[in-house]
Amino acid sequence: MEIIGIQSYLVIGQILFAAGLLTAVSKRNIIGIFMGIELILNSAAINFAAFSKFTAVSLEGQVFSMFIIVLAAAEAAIALALLLAIYKRYDDINADNLTTLKL
Amino acid sequence: MTLELREMVFIATALLTTLPALLVVFSRNILYSAFALFFTFLGTSGLYFFLGAEFLAITQVVVYIGGVSVILLFAILLTRDIDEIKKTNTMSLGRAVPGGVAVLAISAVFIYAIGETKWAASGDETGVPALTVKPLGDLLLNKYLFAFEVVSVLLLAVLIGSLVIARRSVK
Repeated sequence: MEIIGIQSYLVIGQILFAAGLLTAVSKRNIIGIFMGIELILNSAAINFAAFSKFTAVSLEGQVFSMFIIVLAAAEAAIALALLLAIYKRYDDINADNLTTLKL
Repeated sequence: MTLELREMVFIATALLTTLPALLVVFSRNILYSAFALFFTFLGTSGLYFFLGAEFLAITQVVVYIGGVSVILLFAILLTRDIDEIKKTNTMSLGRAVPGGVAVLAISAVFIYAIGETKWAASGDETGVPALTVKPLGDLLLNKYLFAFEVVSVLLLAVLIGSLVIARRSVK
Protein backbone atom coordinates (compact mmCIF):
# COMPACT_ATOMS: atom_id res chain seq x y z
CA MET A 1 0.00 0.00 0.00
CA GLU A 2 1.44 3.32 -1.01
CA ILE A 3 1.43 6.19 1.45
CA ILE A 4 -0.30 8.79 -0.71
CA GLY A 5 -3.19 6.56 -1.74
CA ILE A 6 -6.93 6.81 -1.47
CA GLN A 7 -6.91 4.80 1.78
CA SER A 8 -4.83 7.48 3.51
CA TYR A 9 -7.31 10.20 2.60
CA LEU A 10 -10.27 8.06 3.64
CA VAL A 11 -8.66 7.23 6.99
CA ILE A 12 -7.92 10.93 7.61
CA GLY A 13 -11.54 11.72 6.74
CA GLN A 14 -12.70 8.98 9.09
CA ILE A 15 -10.58 10.33 11.98
CA LEU A 16 -11.97 13.84 11.42
CA PHE A 17 -15.51 12.42 11.26
CA ALA A 18 -15.06 10.47 14.49
CA ALA A 19 -13.63 13.51 16.28
CA GLY A 20 -16.44 15.71 14.97
CA LEU A 21 -19.18 13.26 15.91
CA LEU A 22 -17.79 12.79 19.42
CA THR A 23 -17.50 16.57 19.83
CA ALA A 24 -21.03 17.20 18.60
CA VAL A 25 -22.49 14.50 20.85
CA SER A 26 -20.64 15.16 24.09
CA LYS A 27 -19.89 18.89 24.48
CA ARG A 28 -21.91 21.07 26.84
CA ASN A 29 -21.13 24.37 25.13
CA ILE A 30 -23.15 25.12 21.99
CA ILE A 31 -20.06 26.59 20.29
CA GLY A 32 -18.26 23.29 20.94
CA ILE A 33 -21.12 21.35 19.32
CA PHE A 34 -20.91 23.70 16.34
CA MET A 35 -17.15 23.00 16.01
CA GLY A 36 -17.95 19.28 15.82
CA ILE A 37 -20.38 19.88 12.96
CA GLU A 38 -17.72 21.88 11.11
CA LEU A 39 -15.29 18.96 11.48
CA ILE A 40 -17.85 16.53 10.06
CA LEU A 41 -18.49 18.77 7.02
CA ASN A 42 -14.75 19.12 6.52
CA SER A 43 -14.24 15.34 6.49
CA ALA A 44 -17.04 14.94 3.93
CA ALA A 45 -15.37 17.53 1.69
CA ILE A 46 -12.02 15.73 1.90
CA ASN A 47 -13.69 12.44 0.95
CA PHE A 48 -15.40 14.01 -2.08
CA ALA A 49 -12.12 15.50 -3.31
CA ALA A 50 -10.29 12.18 -2.77
CA PHE A 51 -12.89 10.19 -4.70
CA SER A 52 -12.81 12.86 -7.40
CA LYS A 53 -9.12 12.21 -7.92
CA PHE A 54 -8.78 8.47 -7.37
CA THR A 55 -11.95 6.70 -8.50
CA ALA A 56 -14.12 9.04 -10.56
CA VAL A 57 -11.18 10.67 -12.38
CA SER A 58 -13.21 13.79 -13.10
CA LEU A 59 -13.70 17.17 -11.46
CA GLU A 60 -17.29 16.74 -10.29
CA GLY A 61 -16.28 15.69 -6.78
CA GLN A 62 -14.42 18.97 -6.41
CA VAL A 63 -17.61 20.83 -7.37
CA PHE A 64 -19.40 19.00 -4.54
CA SER A 65 -16.59 19.90 -2.13
CA MET A 66 -16.98 23.53 -3.11
CA PHE A 67 -20.72 23.44 -2.43
CA ILE A 68 -20.00 21.84 0.94
CA ILE A 69 -17.61 24.69 1.82
CA VAL A 70 -20.20 27.31 0.83
CA LEU A 71 -22.96 25.59 2.79
CA ALA A 72 -20.69 25.24 5.83
CA ALA A 73 -20.01 28.98 5.76
CA ALA A 74 -23.74 29.73 5.49
CA GLU A 75 -24.42 27.35 8.35
CA ALA A 76 -21.75 29.06 10.45
CA ALA A 77 -23.37 32.47 10.00
CA ILE A 78 -26.86 31.22 10.89
CA ALA A 79 -25.65 29.08 13.81
CA LEU A 80 -23.75 31.94 15.41
CA ALA A 81 -26.67 34.36 14.94
CA LEU A 82 -28.93 31.84 16.67
CA LEU A 83 -26.31 31.47 19.38
CA LEU A 84 -26.29 35.20 20.10
CA ALA A 85 -30.10 35.21 20.24
CA ILE A 86 -30.05 32.27 22.68
CA TYR A 87 -27.40 33.95 24.81
CA LYS A 88 -29.48 37.13 25.06
CA ARG A 89 -32.55 35.13 26.04
CA TYR A 90 -30.98 32.74 28.60
CA ASP A 91 -27.64 34.38 29.58
CA ASP A 92 -26.17 30.91 29.05
CA ILE A 93 -25.02 28.67 26.19
CA ASN A 94 -25.00 25.34 28.00
CA ALA A 95 -26.92 22.91 25.80
CA ASP A 96 -28.25 21.02 28.82
CA ASN A 97 -30.07 24.08 30.15
CA LEU A 98 -31.93 25.01 26.96
CA THR A 99 -35.17 23.17 27.51
CA THR A 100 -37.80 25.40 25.94
CA LEU A 101 -38.40 26.06 22.27
CA LYS A 102 -39.75 29.59 22.75
CA LEU A 103 -37.20 32.30 21.99
CA MET B 1 11.76 1.56 3.68
CA THR B 2 12.92 5.04 2.84
CA LEU B 3 10.52 7.92 2.54
CA GLU B 4 10.61 10.40 -0.26
CA LEU B 5 10.33 14.09 0.57
CA ARG B 6 6.82 14.19 -0.90
CA GLU B 7 5.66 11.40 1.38
CA MET B 8 7.20 13.00 4.45
CA VAL B 9 5.40 16.26 3.69
CA PHE B 10 2.16 14.31 3.20
CA ILE B 11 2.54 12.61 6.58
CA ALA B 12 3.26 15.96 8.25
CA THR B 13 0.16 17.45 6.62
CA ALA B 14 -1.96 14.50 7.71
CA LEU B 15 -0.73 14.88 11.30
CA LEU B 16 -1.39 18.64 11.14
CA THR B 17 -4.98 17.79 10.17
CA THR B 18 -5.76 15.01 12.61
CA LEU B 19 -3.91 15.86 15.83
CA PRO B 20 -5.62 19.27 16.35
CA ALA B 21 -8.96 17.55 15.70
CA LEU B 22 -8.31 15.43 18.79
CA LEU B 23 -7.49 18.60 20.72
CA VAL B 24 -10.86 20.03 19.62
CA VAL B 25 -12.52 17.01 21.22
CA PHE B 26 -10.61 16.83 24.47
CA SER B 27 -9.66 20.42 25.34
CA ARG B 28 -11.58 21.98 28.20
CA ASN B 29 -10.79 25.53 27.09
CA ILE B 30 -12.90 26.66 24.18
CA LEU B 31 -10.30 29.11 22.91
CA TYR B 32 -7.79 26.23 22.58
CA SER B 33 -10.44 24.28 20.70
CA ALA B 34 -11.01 27.19 18.34
CA PHE B 35 -7.31 27.59 17.54
CA ALA B 36 -6.92 23.82 17.10
CA LEU B 37 -9.79 23.97 14.59
CA PHE B 38 -7.82 26.68 12.79
CA PHE B 39 -4.87 24.27 12.33
CA THR B 40 -7.17 21.47 11.20
CA PHE B 41 -8.52 23.74 8.46
CA LEU B 42 -4.98 24.64 7.45
CA GLY B 43 -4.02 20.96 7.20
CA THR B 44 -7.12 20.25 5.13
CA SER B 45 -6.03 22.96 2.73
CA GLY B 46 -2.66 21.19 2.41
CA LEU B 47 -4.43 17.89 1.67
CA TYR B 48 -6.37 19.61 -1.13
CA PHE B 49 -3.05 20.67 -2.64
CA PHE B 50 -1.94 17.01 -2.54
CA LEU B 51 -5.18 16.05 -4.31
CA GLY B 52 -4.43 18.48 -7.12
CA ALA B 53 -7.33 20.77 -6.18
CA GLU B 54 -5.68 24.19 -5.98
CA PHE B 55 -8.90 26.17 -6.19
CA LEU B 56 -10.42 24.20 -3.32
CA ALA B 57 -7.29 24.71 -1.24
CA ILE B 58 -7.36 28.47 -1.67
CA THR B 59 -11.13 28.56 -1.07
CA GLN B 60 -10.60 26.56 2.11
CA VAL B 61 -8.08 29.11 3.39
CA VAL B 62 -10.25 32.11 2.47
CA VAL B 63 -13.60 30.78 3.68
CA TYR B 64 -12.69 28.64 6.68
CA ILE B 65 -9.65 30.40 8.10
CA GLY B 66 -10.63 33.91 7.08
CA GLY B 67 -14.35 33.52 7.72
CA VAL B 68 -15.48 30.68 9.94
CA SER B 69 -12.59 30.76 12.43
CA VAL B 70 -12.85 34.53 12.91
CA ILE B 71 -16.63 34.41 13.31
CA LEU B 72 -16.14 31.59 15.83
CA LEU B 73 -13.70 33.67 17.89
CA PHE B 74 -16.15 36.59 17.81
CA ALA B 75 -18.93 34.34 19.07
CA ILE B 76 -16.77 33.01 21.90
CA LEU B 77 -15.72 36.48 23.03
CA LEU B 78 -19.27 37.85 22.79
CA THR B 79 -20.88 35.16 24.86
CA ARG B 80 -18.63 34.31 27.80
CA ASP B 81 -16.72 35.96 30.59
CA ILE B 82 -13.00 35.73 29.91
CA ASP B 83 -12.34 34.90 33.57
CA GLU B 84 -13.94 31.49 33.51
CA ILE B 85 -12.56 30.49 30.10
CA LYS B 86 -10.60 27.52 31.50
CA LYS B 87 -13.63 25.29 31.87
CA THR B 88 -15.89 26.56 29.12
CA ASN B 89 -15.82 23.51 26.88
CA THR B 90 -16.37 20.58 29.23
CA MET B 91 -17.91 17.30 28.18
CA SER B 92 -21.12 15.94 29.56
CA LEU B 93 -20.07 12.54 30.91
CA GLY B 94 -23.50 11.03 30.49
CA ARG B 95 -23.36 11.74 26.78
CA ALA B 96 -19.60 11.28 26.24
CA VAL B 97 -19.39 7.63 27.33
CA PRO B 98 -22.15 6.16 25.13
CA GLY B 99 -21.19 8.57 22.36
CA GLY B 100 -17.56 7.48 22.58
CA VAL B 101 -18.50 3.79 22.41
CA ALA B 102 -20.72 4.42 19.39
CA VAL B 103 -18.06 6.50 17.63
CA LEU B 104 -15.42 3.79 18.22
CA ALA B 105 -17.76 1.15 16.80
CA ILE B 106 -18.55 3.25 13.72
CA SER B 107 -14.85 4.00 13.16
CA ALA B 108 -13.93 0.31 13.42
CA VAL B 109 -16.55 -0.62 10.81
CA PHE B 110 -15.51 2.17 8.43
CA ILE B 111 -11.77 1.51 8.69
CA TYR B 112 -12.36 -2.23 8.20
CA ALA B 113 -14.42 -1.41 5.10
CA ILE B 114 -11.76 0.97 3.76
CA GLY B 115 -9.09 -1.71 4.20
CA GLU B 116 -11.13 -4.51 2.64
CA THR B 117 -12.42 -2.70 -0.44
CA LYS B 118 -10.55 -3.32 -3.68
CA TRP B 119 -9.91 0.25 -4.81
CA ALA B 120 -9.24 0.91 -8.45
CA ALA B 121 -5.54 1.29 -9.15
CA SER B 122 -4.66 4.93 -8.74
CA GLY B 123 -2.22 6.66 -10.99
CA ASP B 124 -4.55 6.95 -13.97
CA GLU B 125 -4.96 10.72 -13.95
CA THR B 126 -5.82 11.25 -17.58
CA GLY B 127 -9.26 12.68 -16.77
CA VAL B 128 -8.00 15.32 -14.34
CA PRO B 129 -6.39 18.34 -15.97
CA ALA B 130 -3.22 19.80 -14.54
CA LEU B 131 -4.79 23.17 -13.76
CA THR B 132 -8.30 22.77 -12.37
CA VAL B 133 -9.52 26.35 -12.13
CA LYS B 134 -10.77 26.79 -15.70
CA PRO B 135 -12.50 23.37 -16.01
CA LEU B 136 -14.11 23.95 -12.59
CA GLY B 137 -15.51 27.26 -13.80
CA ASP B 138 -16.86 25.54 -16.91
CA LEU B 139 -18.57 22.88 -14.81
CA LEU B 140 -20.06 25.43 -12.40
CA LEU B 141 -21.44 27.75 -15.09
CA ASN B 142 -22.68 25.08 -17.50
CA LYS B 143 -23.61 21.75 -15.97
CA TYR B 144 -24.22 22.92 -12.40
CA LEU B 145 -25.53 26.41 -13.17
CA PHE B 146 -28.87 25.81 -11.44
CA ALA B 147 -27.23 24.63 -8.21
CA PHE B 148 -24.87 27.60 -8.39
CA GLU B 149 -27.78 30.05 -8.61
CA VAL B 150 -29.67 28.30 -5.83
CA VAL B 151 -26.60 28.61 -3.61
CA SER B 152 -26.35 32.32 -4.34
CA VAL B 153 -30.01 32.82 -3.36
CA LEU B 154 -29.32 30.77 -0.23
CA LEU B 155 -26.41 33.04 0.68
CA LEU B 156 -28.67 36.10 0.33
CA ALA B 157 -31.26 34.43 2.56
CA VAL B 158 -28.55 33.62 5.11
CA LEU B 159 -27.32 37.21 5.08
CA ILE B 160 -30.77 38.63 5.78
CA GLY B 161 -31.80 35.83 8.13
CA SER B 162 -28.76 36.09 10.38
CA LEU B 163 -29.25 39.86 10.65
CA VAL B 164 -32.91 39.37 11.62
CA ILE B 165 -32.14 36.65 14.17
CA ALA B 166 -29.21 38.38 15.83
CA ARG B 167 -30.52 41.93 15.93
CA ARG B 168 -31.17 43.61 19.24
CA SER B 169 -34.74 42.90 20.25
CA VAL B 170 -36.83 46.10 20.57
CA LYS B 171 -39.02 46.01 23.62
